[in-house]
Amino acid sequence: MTGTDRFFRALCWVMALGVVVFLLLPLVITVLVSFSSSQVYTLPPPEWSFRWYEALTRRAGLMDALMLSLNLALLSTAASLILGTAAAIGVARGQFRGRAALATFAVSPLMMPGLVLGVAMLQFFREIGLRDAYWSLLLAHVVITLPFVMRTLLAAMGSFDFALVDAARTLGMSYPRAVLRVLIPNLAPAYLTGGLFAFLASMDNYPISIFLTDAFNRTLPIRMLQYMEESPDPSIAAISTGLILLATVALAVAARTVGLNRLIQG
Amino acid sequence: MSTARADRIGLLVLPGLAYLGLIYALPLFLLLLKSFRDATGALSVAEFVQIFGDPLQRSIIARTLRVAFLVTLLALVIAWPTAIVMRSARGGWLSLFLVAIILPMSLGVVVKAFAWSILFRSNGFINQSLMTMNLIDAPIRLLFTETALVIGAANVFLPFMVLPIYAVLQQQDPNLPDAAATLGAGPYRRFFKVIVPLAMPGVVAGCAFVFSMAVSMYVIPSLIIGERQQTVAMQIARSFLFLRNEQLGSSLSTILLLIAVSVVLGSSWLAARLGARQ
Amino acid sequence: MLDRHAPDPGAAPMAAPDAQYLDVVAIRKAFKGVTVMDGLDFRMARGELVSLLGPSGCGKTTLLRIIAGLMQADDGSVILAGRNIASLPPHKRNISVVFQNYALFPHLSVAENVAFGLRARGMSKADAVKPVHEALALVRMQDFAERSITALSGGQQQRIAVARALVVRPHLLLLDEPFSALDRKLRETMQVELKSLLRDRGITGIFVTHDQDEAMGVSDRIAVMNAGRIEQFADPSTLYATPATPFVMDFLGLSTRLSGRVASQEGALVAVDTDLGRLRAPGTLAPGTPVLIGVRPELIRLDGGADMNRVDLVLEDVAILGSKTMLQGRPGAEDRLLCELAGIRNGKSRGDAVSFHWAVEDTLLYDLSAGTTP
Repeated sequence: MTGTDRFFRALCWVMALGVVVFLLLPLVITVLVSFSSSQVYTLPPPEWSFRWYEALTRRAGLMDALMLSLNLALLSTAASLILGTAAAIGVARGQFRGRAALATFAVSPLMMPGLVLGVAMLQFFREIGLRDAYWSLLLAHVVITLPFVMRTLLAAMGSFDFALVDAARTLGMSYPRAVLRVLIPNLAPAYLTGGLFAFLASMDNYPISIFLTDAFNRTLPIRMLQYMEESPDPSIAAISTGLILLATVALAVAARTVGLNRLIQG
Repeated sequence: MSTARADRIGLLVLPGLAYLGLIYALPLFLLLLKSFRDATGALSVAEFVQIFGDPLQRSIIARTLRVAFLVTLLALVIAWPTAIVMRSARGGWLSLFLVAIILPMSLGVVVKAFAWSILFRSNGFINQSLMTMNLIDAPIRLLFTETALVIGAANVFLPFMVLPIYAVLQQQDPNLPDAAATLGAGPYRRFFKVIVPLAMPGVVAGCAFVFSMAVSMYVIPSLIIGERQQTVAMQIARSFLFLRNEQLGSSLSTILLLIAVSVVLGSSWLAARLGARQ
Repeated sequence: MLDRHAPDPGAAPMAAPDAQYLDVVAIRKAFKGVTVMDGLDFRMARGELVSLLGPSGCGKTTLLRIIAGLMQADDGSVILAGRNIASLPPHKRNISVVFQNYALFPHLSVAENVAFGLRARGMSKADAVKPVHEALALVRMQDFAERSITALSGGQQQRIAVARALVVRPHLLLLDEPFSALDRKLRETMQVELKSLLRDRGITGIFVTHDQDEAMGVSDRIAVMNAGRIEQFADPSTLYATPATPFVMDFLGLSTRLSGRVASQEGALVAVDTDLGRLRAPGTLAPGTPVLIGVRPELIRLDGGADMNRVDLVLEDVAILGSKTMLQGRPGAEDRLLCELAGIRNGKSRGDAVSFHWAVEDTLLYDLSAGTTP
């Protein structure tokens, strides 16, 4: 290794460590601010306190928003896992033409501007006479979650040895049972990863949901943005801290089960 | 396995395909259709002519593209060295990098945009730090500036730049730079003739993803830069949610959609060209 | 005879004509405080083809990377053509390497890969065309110049890697397990082909391999490595006929192994007591020394005179190996008796009682008291 190599290496390391700080800074600041006693966001806080967590109980509609977001995230992820499993098996094992194009199509909502999707769905639901905000949101959130599931499942099935399913069938299992007993347990890491990211994407979605809500059905991100506009005090940081905690726990569980490196594949 | 059996398995794609066709593709198609019709329903591009004729709209589109470009550039410049370091990192270091990438990535944009709006305040963390380090005497205005927007957005989209580059680097034979060295290539030649070209597929994918997200971001600009400096996405939301000018909103959506789709198609064409060799 | 059999790990490598074209002296290397190489010496002549042979982890790849400059030795010097290159970075050494998986650049075409070294040396694109074409012709790949690397088979990729390494006219060519990615048939063809190519061009080359047949087939001399040391460095027939240590004996080919103890010295011979009786072998050792006796299987016959070594045993296995038959007996856990007979029609089968005979002077004798593991 020459001196130039060493210099570049050192430079890269400095930048990479800077990136770690840069990426984690917003989260750390949010957590710190949420425990501040001050109304303004001074750091370090003058005193530590739980007052903003107590203030949450007085936030109108917060609990409803949280329940709605959890409800949508759970149901849409579950629906996506079912639709996604079937579709991914079809793509991996089917013999029809255009399977690659179909895989691209299934993942393509990830690359679409969310706002545009929201606008398109708003107009479409109105056109077909769907006025119910909850059902509109649920239908839309399946479109949000399905690509995450499809992406990981397609990658996992690409390297899955389907002879295992055939082996189960020669041992007396029907095809659906073989899928349930052999394929799905073997692809458990992919289900966990895909399902986790799908769930979080639904929980966090703003740009699509904003077009489909009404006064009674506001998801958590929409409520949070509303609070920021109306009364931006550190209680928003308290909600954020709760979400950071949720994500941290979910990732810790996922990392323990499938490993950090697996989480970013697919 | 017989072909008949395999074909029946192929049918499993139908429910998912039908769902996406109905709830995803069809609405987008109708939106496109609508933006190319005037009030009477006749085919027309009048709305687009009007948008591109309006200096305000033109400046909004230009700002949107400029910001997206700067965000992509900033993310690329800091993501690349990070991916290189991650490629060689092991154990605890690698875990640190992965956590720093995955944790923010799994958090909503509302949370991160809110954090940045705190950080950029005149009495916020960044100003305080700069003043402590004696780099500035008085707080400088950060919030509501384009610089703040670019930094905040680059932060939110950074993981999507690092991961594709890291993935490409990971698949490579780690001996390639060594092979170049034994053939007489010095550090510069190794960097520009081997390391950079080999990372290109990941770079292209990351840039396309970040650019298409940055061009259509809505929450970040509305919290960091506010209503004063509009972007196309903010215009769309306003025209639907406040102005009730759906024609304008649809047309702007179409423009955004076309930008995003052309970036995706362009990048996959480029990636295919780069990948043809690999 | 006697000297030939005495294990002497510190022996200088066999003097070669025009020695010391490459002179690797007193190399020391530790990884994270664990010493893997402690004062290794290695010498070879211009135009020689040498193999570093040993099991994985024996240090052969480390030595290769130190010679190439891809790894820095903690101590010692590497002298190539009279110049100490130990502190030079790899790109200034003019040593080409054929990597295990070839390390061809996937973003470059076949011709661009071959031209890479020339371009790195400042040659213009136009000037590189002719030598590149010649190098490709040398490995019979001239029709593939514009192909993509990934479109090539393993054997083709190996030829390109060789062309890329040779086109720059290196002082030294290093090949790291160059055949390991090829299937067996192709491997044998490529070995013959590559050897004659390097021989014709007078290339000085080092093969790193763990495959004894490959090492025997391609090289003038073989350095058998074990645990960071060179156990023996000699031509293939010397290595096979008179392995310096039990390790070398076992690593190259099969042999009978019997452990025993020296009973007495009888002139130039020692008598050794084993579980299967008294045997004699050339050598000088004090009575009571624990020893290992070895015999190559093709030197053993089923009949013989009274002046030969003889053991009686019951056959445990008779393996028909095409042109030959291998008779095996296992008198003890560590002991093994092997006899190779030409042809397959010798009427022996498992359970037969037979006698193995071999000449006293064909007996290999190793002193185990020095602490060398058998």
